Amino acid sequence: MSLWGFLTSVFQVDLLQGLSVTGKFLFHRKATIQYPEVTLVPKDRFRGMFGFSEERCIVCHNCAKACPIDIIHIADHFEEVEVDGKKKKKKVLDRYDIDVKRCMFCGLCEEACPTEPVAIWLTTKSYETAAYERNEQLYFDKERLQSWEGVKPYPGVVPPNEGQMPNDPSGALSPKPEEQKR
Amino acid sequence: MGNPWIAFLLVPLVKIIVILLVVILMAAYLSYFERKILAYMQIRIGPNRVGPRGWLQPIADALKLFVKEDIVPSRAEKFVYMIAPALITAPALVVFSVIPFGADTTFFGLLKQPMPPYLTDINIGILFVLGVSSVGVYGVILGGWSSNNKFSLMGGMRSAAQLVSYEVPMGFSVVAVLLMAGSLSMVKIVEAQKQAGVWFVFPGIVAFFIYIVCGVAETNRNPFDLPEAESELVAGFHTEYSGMKWAFYFLAEYANMVLISSVATVLFLGGWLRPFPNAAALAFLDVIPPFIWFAAKVGFFLFCYIWFRGTFPRYRFDQLMALGWKVLLPVSLANLLVVGLGVLLMGGPK
Amino acid sequence: MSTLQATRPFPDSEEMEISFGPQHPATHGVLRVMVKLDGERIIDAKPIIGYLHRGTEKIFERETYNGTIPHTDRMDYTAAATNNQALVGAVEKMMGVTVPPRAAYIRMVLAELQRIASHIIWLGTHALDIGAQTPFFYTFQEREIILDLYEEYCGARLTLNCMRVGGQPFNLPEGWTDRCRAFVDQLPARIAEWERLLTNNRIWKLRTIGVGVISAANAVEWGLTGPPLRGSGVKWDIRKVFPYDRYDEVDFEIPIGANGDTYDRYLVRMEEMRQSVRIVQQCLAKLPDGPVMAKVPKVIKPPKGEIYFSVEGPKGELGFYVVSDGSTNPYRLRVRPACFINLQVLPELVRGHLVADMIAVIGTLDIVLGEIDR
Repeated sequence: MSLWGFLTSVFQVDLLQGLSVTGKFLFHRKATIQYPEVTLVPKDRFRGMFGFSEERCIVCHNCAKACPIDIIHIADHFEEVEVDGKKKKKKVLDRYDIDVKRCMFCGLCEEACPTEPVAIWLTTKSYETAAYERNEQLYFDKERLQSWEGVKPYPGVVPPNEGQMPNDPSGALSPKPEEQKR
Repeated sequence: MGNPWIAFLLVPLVKIIVILLVVILMAAYLSYFERKILAYMQIRIGPNRVGPRGWLQPIADALKLFVKEDIVPSRAEKFVYMIAPALITAPALVVFSVIPFGADTTFFGLLKQPMPPYLTDINIGILFVLGVSSVGVYGVILGGWSSNNKFSLMGGMRSAAQLVSYEVPMGFSVVAVLLMAGSLSMVKIVEAQKQAGVWFVFPGIVAFFIYIVCGVAETNRNPFDLPEAESELVAGFHTEYSGMKWAFYFLAEYANMVLISSVATVLFLGGWLRPFPNAAALAFLDVIPPFIWFAAKVGFFLFCYIWFRGTFPRYRFDQLMALGWKVLLPVSLANLLVVGLGVLLMGGPK
Repeated sequence: MSTLQATRPFPDSEEMEISFGPQHPATHGVLRVMVKLDGERIIDAKPIIGYLHRGTEKIFERETYNGTIPHTDRMDYTAAATNNQALVGAVEKMMGVTVPPRAAYIRMVLAELQRIASHIIWLGTHALDIGAQTPFFYTFQEREIILDLYEEYCGARLTLNCMRVGGQPFNLPEGWTDRCRAFVDQLPARIAEWERLLTNNRIWKLRTIGVGVISAANAVEWGLTGPPLRGSGVKWDIRKVFPYDRYDEVDFEIPIGANGDTYDRYLVRMEEMRQSVRIVQQCLAKLPDGPVMAKVPKVIKPPKGEIYFSVEGPKGELGFYVVSDGSTNPYRLRVRPACFINLQVLPELVRGHLVADMIAVIGTLDIVLGEIDR
């Protein structure tokens, strides 16, 4: 062993180097976030809880076909409606259920939805869907998907039936109703 | 009734109670500080929910352990199983009776005459410390054996082997200090440092490092904590212990840490003395009371314990033993030789 | 006087078989190892897997090709992007589709960031097993930034689903390249910090040098890939040997080790992180404009046939063998899992070592049970 090697070994230079690193970090800013008083802001494309809009849905079943685990259950029927004096057949949504406890939040349903803006979306920034009982509380039917009963929205986010839009869950991008009145 | 009884019985009793309370509280709060300091080194905050900034965390832990169910494995050796934790805790606490915490003091004028703030000073102080703290090995071995669990037994054996092997170089490094001090009594060692005008760490720096390394190994702390590491196959001698008995092992480990730190302070860092006690230039430091100096030095060692835990990986057991026997022992013997020669040439112990 | 039953404290050279159970803090997942011990020396170690088997390959058979991608995320869950990359690369090769250059570059950036993230997990947990508790926290703090970048890009942090057959589902958001560049520019300094804690540390060297040695010839015979292979001195990296996704347009080196022990594999992975930084910097500088999705039909139907395609994942060569019968679902999708094949060499590596070394060896092989068991 060279003299330098011997000296660094005797004076424990390598150990002191390690100690200096941890000693330095002692004074760094801490990375802890005091959840639940403080929450991190999810990014815009964050795939969270579902948003669903029955009025935009055209009942094309694309989302159910795209879902890798078949948790979207859709039932519909045809109805005769009067449009411009002509009788037309319109698809009416009977049942739109999502078994959220099985969902893997892959977002393929949102990608498959053809409407503009999409009728099913995951960019809602909300992830707190914890429940005490999973079979009833984590199975969302049409009404609950829009009212978000049982879901704790991220601060500033409204449920879909109050006008939440995809990619804009807190309404930051849409014009305010007061401004529209003029 | 009357003065002799007070001096003989009441004062020591009060001192015993105070020292025991302080040591036990220190051990408990050492666990709090360890969690906080380790957390700060790991860029996170430690406990901060229980009480203001987490100060009540050790109390909460103690309460929880107190009310936990007392489980004894069905085929364990019952009597030994019950007393093994006591066998390690009692010596750790008893040794504090000879550690000098400060010079004779009137506690800021509360007392009429100055009184030594330690319990007693026997003339074989350091020998008492080494001897009684070694009794703690019984607690480890008997705890591992009585659990009737081959992993606990292996862990206990390894731990005991580690403790015993590191006693030897520790003893030799202590002897180096004794050569310089010329007495076994703890108070006289501190006074010898005052006479010499310098802490013994400066002439005895090799002995100091050996003592620190052996001290960390003696308390089963990182980087020598293989016998009790979680990620090892052999889970350690206290696997089968839970509740209050486990709390005793925990307490004993932290009390041992405080003990090693206190002894290191007395032997090497001058006990309650300020740096360079005879230098007139630093006389302004005398405004700090002696036991604050003592506490600060002990605190520094405890911080080092926690710092080591946060930084170093663990030694494997055979490497640990090799370090103790093949490296520390020859070095401590050589150091003894050198210190002895030095003392002889300087004209005897100071 | 009651006496202690059974176990003699020192069985004379009697073999003891211990089950290093599926639930254990040091076995990176649910791995069970049956260890035959003689005292403290390991005579044999047999890994037993299957505790995380979820039937992924069977699930693949009933999904459409794009629907299999989220399932691949969950195989090697620490390196989801490279899993995605392997699958979509295989299907694209089968269909003869070339992704647009922008998509290829985005894929490279995502894959290299994933390599860094996976090596960060490896470093934190490996150090934790050996006893150093703090590198875990420092490294995971950097990983948080990588996961934030992923979250901005595709919406998820761990189970990314960030690639599709034919290209990328999304374009990069505003400012993503700046944030990514800022992150990778400061990463080498962080890596140097972690190395200060470990690389020259005498305890670390004592625990890792000479532990789990495998020669280059043996490594090739056992079919090892990735850092276990490169740590033994074999210069083999799929990105260089069978380049995919425009890896031939970027400049990087392949670190190899000399002795094939744990310390060399550690050095190889640290250097791989630095090389990944280099690749990301080059890709971000050269990022072309253009579409991110090639012209592929809405419903993916590869022609009948079979194909094998592999990528260099952080753990080793991750390959997919796709058998298509011309329909929308794969007929058979077989995974060549890097960790599974790397784990097979465990008995070979630990024979003759002590039990504490087995923990180090399991850590150095960098196994993820999700990929082994699928």
